[in-house]
Amino acid sequence: MTAPIFRFKGRAIPFRPGESVAAALDAAGVTLLGHDALGQANRYFCGIGACQNCVALIDGVVRETCLTLAAQGMVVVPMEDAGG
Amino acid sequence: MAEIDVLIVGAGPAGMAAAIEAGKAGLRVVVLEQHQTPGGAIFRQAIADAPAVRIPPRVAAIRHELSAAFAASRIETRYGHVFLGIDSDGFVLAEDRNTGAFVTLKAKSIVLALGAVEKILPRPGWERAGVSTAGGLQVMMKETGRAPAGRVLLAGNGPLLVAVAAQMAALGNPPVAVIEAGDPFRRFAAGVALAAFHQHLAVEAFGYLRELRRHRVEWQRGATLQRIERDGEGLIACVRNSAGEIKFIRADRIGLHDGIRSNEFGLAPANARGPLVVHAGDCREALGAEAAIADGRAAGMRVAAALRGFTHAEPRELTRLRQAEAILSRLFAPVETAHPLAALPDDTVLCRCENRNVGELKALCGGADGLTGREVKHHGRFAMGSCQGRFCADNTAALMAHLRPDLPAPQARDLTGTRWPIRPVPIAALAASGVGQAKEQEI
Amino acid sequence: MQSRHLRNAVVIGAGICGAATAYFLSRRGVNVRLLDARAPAAEATGAADGAVSVASKRPGPMMNAALLGIRLYRELAEAGLLADLFKTRSTFIVARHDDECAVLEAHAAALSGAGVGAEILSQATARGRFPALAPATRMVVEVRGEGHAIGYRIVHRLIAASGLAVDRHEPVTRLILCERGQRIRAVETAKSRIEADAVIVAAGGGSGALLGLAHVLSPRKGQLLVTERAPSLNAGMPGAIMSGRYLMSKGSQTGPNGKPARGIGLVVDPLTTGQFLIGGTREDGGEAGSNDIDAVARILADAVALVPGLANIRLLRGFAGVRMAVADGLPLIGRLPGLTNGYVVTGFEGDGICLGPVAGQAIAALACGENSALDLTPFDPGRFDGLKVAA
Ligand SMILES: Cc1cc2nc3c(=O)[nH]c(=O)nc-3n(C[C@H](O)[C@H](O)[C@H](O)COP(=O)(O)OP(=O)(O)OC[C@H]3O[C@@H](n4cnc5c(N)ncnc54)[C@H](O)[C@@H]3O)c2cc1C
Ligand SMILES: Cc1cc2nc3c(=O)[nH]c(=O)nc-3n(C[C@H](O)[C@H](O)[C@H](O)COP(=O)(O)OP(=O)(O)OC[C@H]3O[C@@H](n4cnc5c(N)ncnc54)[C@H](O)[C@@H]3O)c2cc1C
Ligand code: FES
Repeated sequence: MTAPIFRFKGRAIPFRPGESVAAALDAAGVTLLGHDALGQANRYFCGIGACQNCVALIDGVVRETCLTLAAQGMVVVPMEDAGG
Repeated sequence: MAEIDVLIVGAGPAGMAAAIEAGKAGLRVVVLEQHQTPGGAIFRQAIADAPAVRIPPRVAAIRHELSAAFAASRIETRYGHVFLGIDSDGFVLAEDRNTGAFVTLKAKSIVLALGAVEKILPRPGWERAGVSTAGGLQVMMKETGRAPAGRVLLAGNGPLLVAVAAQMAALGNPPVAVIEAGDPFRRFAAGVALAAFHQHLAVEAFGYLRELRRHRVEWQRGATLQRIERDGEGLIACVRNSAGEIKFIRADRIGLHDGIRSNEFGLAPANARGPLVVHAGDCREALGAEAAIADGRAAGMRVAAALRGFTHAEPRELTRLRQAEAILSRLFAPVETAHPLAALPDDTVLCRCENRNVGELKALCGGADGLTGREVKHHGRFAMGSCQGRFCADNTAALMAHLRPDLPAPQARDLTGTRWPIRPVPIAALAASGVGQAKEQEI
Repeated sequence: MQSRHLRNAVVIGAGICGAATAYFLSRRGVNVRLLDARAPAAEATGAADGAVSVASKRPGPMMNAALLGIRLYRELAEAGLLADLFKTRSTFIVARHDDECAVLEAHAAALSGAGVGAEILSQATARGRFPALAPATRMVVEVRGEGHAIGYRIVHRLIAASGLAVDRHEPVTRLILCERGQRIRAVETAKSRIEADAVIVAAGGGSGALLGLAHVLSPRKGQLLVTERAPSLNAGMPGAIMSGRYLMSKGSQTGPNGKPARGIGLVVDPLTTGQFLIGGTREDGGEAGSNDIDAVARILADAVALVPGLANIRLLRGFAGVRMAVADGLPLIGRLPGLTNGYVVTGFEGDGICLGPVAGQAIAALACGENSALDLTPFDPGRFDGLKVAA
């Protein structure tokens, strides 16, 4: 059985069921999650949904990657490419 | 739908304990939790098959007992629900992340057990990718059973740093060093007091230190992280050690931590007309897991009693645990006595969300006109961004107080205010909620 | 330039009216004490939208005042004082339903007749000018030459430019008259008694108690929302949107089952930060309190119907404020009847950000015995009997 994956910037990111998007990206060596509207680095920071630094567009909705469980086929887009 | 008797927000130790107690009283209890599992910051569950992070045996026993009682209570728990606040009509608002739907609930009483957030002092470069909180690293480690990869540096102040370091070491990747502003070994009196007063905490701390020694992790006491710079793909930390020397440490990740504080941002004090609202656990006063359980239990009993017309006082254990916390802070008191924010360069980011720096705050505080916290927020945008002040309101208020010693010290709350949503929420969820349709007339 | 008539003045209230009055008095060399019960912009001015706009006005004294208000903002921006704080932009009044179109057409004609640049846009032009707008809109009227200003920032700038240090947390409890009752001799606060040559009451909701005006002023709560930044959506919005419904019946309506009346007049303003300000309600009632989900969900549903892209961004915060409305719909700007050195400037309901500076300028001129561009006759406080200083 192959590991489930989601997509981030065209990359296939494998994850283990129950793992957050942030944890899976971290395991794949991604620490820069994109940039916010002020051009600052988005990154995993507090891990508990408080800091809002880890947001990305997940299947079309702005979400904290640290609170969102990864799912097969999910599409995760950095905020600068979100087109908002 | 029947009105809920007790709505509990947060399924950490405090919320779980409150739910168990209120459930025992035969009340209709519902718990909202943003995660998909209970446990909160300390008892976070690992995903299937992941190795568990090592916790002291006594803590493991507490966890086991609480989890078993919570499971047995069969309290209705709605996971994936982010609580957004209580509106002016007393409705509890939440977003169901499982469906993206907006949820409004009515309850007779509400226990807010939203836990704590870590205090993070700003340092030049703290806004960079690769820098997180130490608790954030711990959260990920507990969830995945993996230590954070690469060279990890932990820095700041307080016992959590050594706990995280020991847990990392046990999972196979000890940190390159732990930079600690305090020096508990020099606070002999506080150490003795802790050993006498709360033996378990002292024993746990020694356990962690033993683990660090075994893995030859350097615990640099009386040292401070001065700034963080980029170094190719990695980071380079500039550290001042207890002898005043500057050393550079290369790292892939840096975990910061300067204590914890209640996560009560934006929450209004209880509204006399609305439902009974009680804060519990770290959300009321950040005293750690043991206190959270005791306080949660008391909150559960208190709302159960209040629904029948009594009030209940704070549990007695709390006095003791508060003293234990106070001893711990003395033990870890920073060696450097200068104000930790006083010497920051002007371009140090103070408010990450709005990218506002120390120099901008100084400019606002420089004139003859003594601005209030709310005015500083308005004109400097401090605490105006998406984290809603969770990581800058304390620091901004503290620096304001330092810059203007003659004026009353502002509080974080003066900057954040009280309002909902307490967390940003997609407009789509609200617009599609159907709430309010046909009730309003247009003008 | 020292005023010939006035050496010092006390201004009560540091909202936009008080701050503007203080600024224009200071410019004349008058020594000003600016007192506030809380802090600058702590009340309505700090909880307002900030349309500096004539778009919803019908010809009459309020339209004239609004046109002068906009002109003053433009002048102060050109002079540099408000350069970065006054955003010039059009207001787009949008009809979604057929019944709004006739009203909108008549309104556009009335605006043009009064010399306001208003134009009905063709569907194609509207789409080109305003990519963020929902395709299903029926009619769009562009009102040009308007702007937006954040009330609290204007207040801060005016105070800083006056060089004043505001007396914060200093509520005025009473005005003290001289023996013959024709002059205000001093104002009393919890801490002190302050003598002055002139006293200007600009205390918003606090004015009623000081002047025995409670029967003339009534509070109207308003709720507003702010989103996170969304730069590209913001770029697709060249100005503010106002729902055509807003024009159809302005003012409050009786609520069902004795609940206070309220209505929603949708306005979406793109801010220079890339955020959006979305409002708002008009509710009969006193306390600002916080937001209620009924109003918020309804405002956002309406907003998304006009600007679908808003659905993809997040609501950051909500807040509420109280506007002070005068019984006949016109503000009180002028000398207090029977007093030689007492003035009032308040009661701007939902227009005080637009009108506060021009009203403050007029009051400062009046207090110094000079004329101003704004004709104060329709706003004379003397039109109400019973207005008296509680001695
Ligand atoms: C990152 C972090 C790591 C920590 N690690 C340790 C540790 O290892 N050992 C230790 O002794 N103490 C630790 N603490 C301190 C810890 O807070 C307490 O020991 C204990 O967990 C407090 O229990 P509580 O129930 O009050 O709060 P928490 O355990 O924090 O529980 C709060 C719960 O509320 C939920 N919640 C928060 N906001 C919302 C919302 N808006 N909507 C819905 N749900 C929400 C959270 O997901 C969480 O489950 C840590 C604190 C933090 C912040
Ligand atoms: C939701 C909302 C949206 C709005 N949108 C717009 C808009 O788009 N465009 C527009 O032009 N206008 C708008 N307004 C209206 C505008 O905000 C008000 O008309 C204006 O701010 C009133 O200013 P003020 O100075 O008269 O009163 P305030 O701003 O209320 O100031 C009065 C000040 O007096 C102080 N005070 C009160 N009593 C005392 C006392 N006894 N002693 C000392 N100080 C005292 C208060 O603390 C306060 O700071 C809006 C208002 C609201 C609530
Ligand atoms: S890391 Fe802070 S919200 Fe996700």
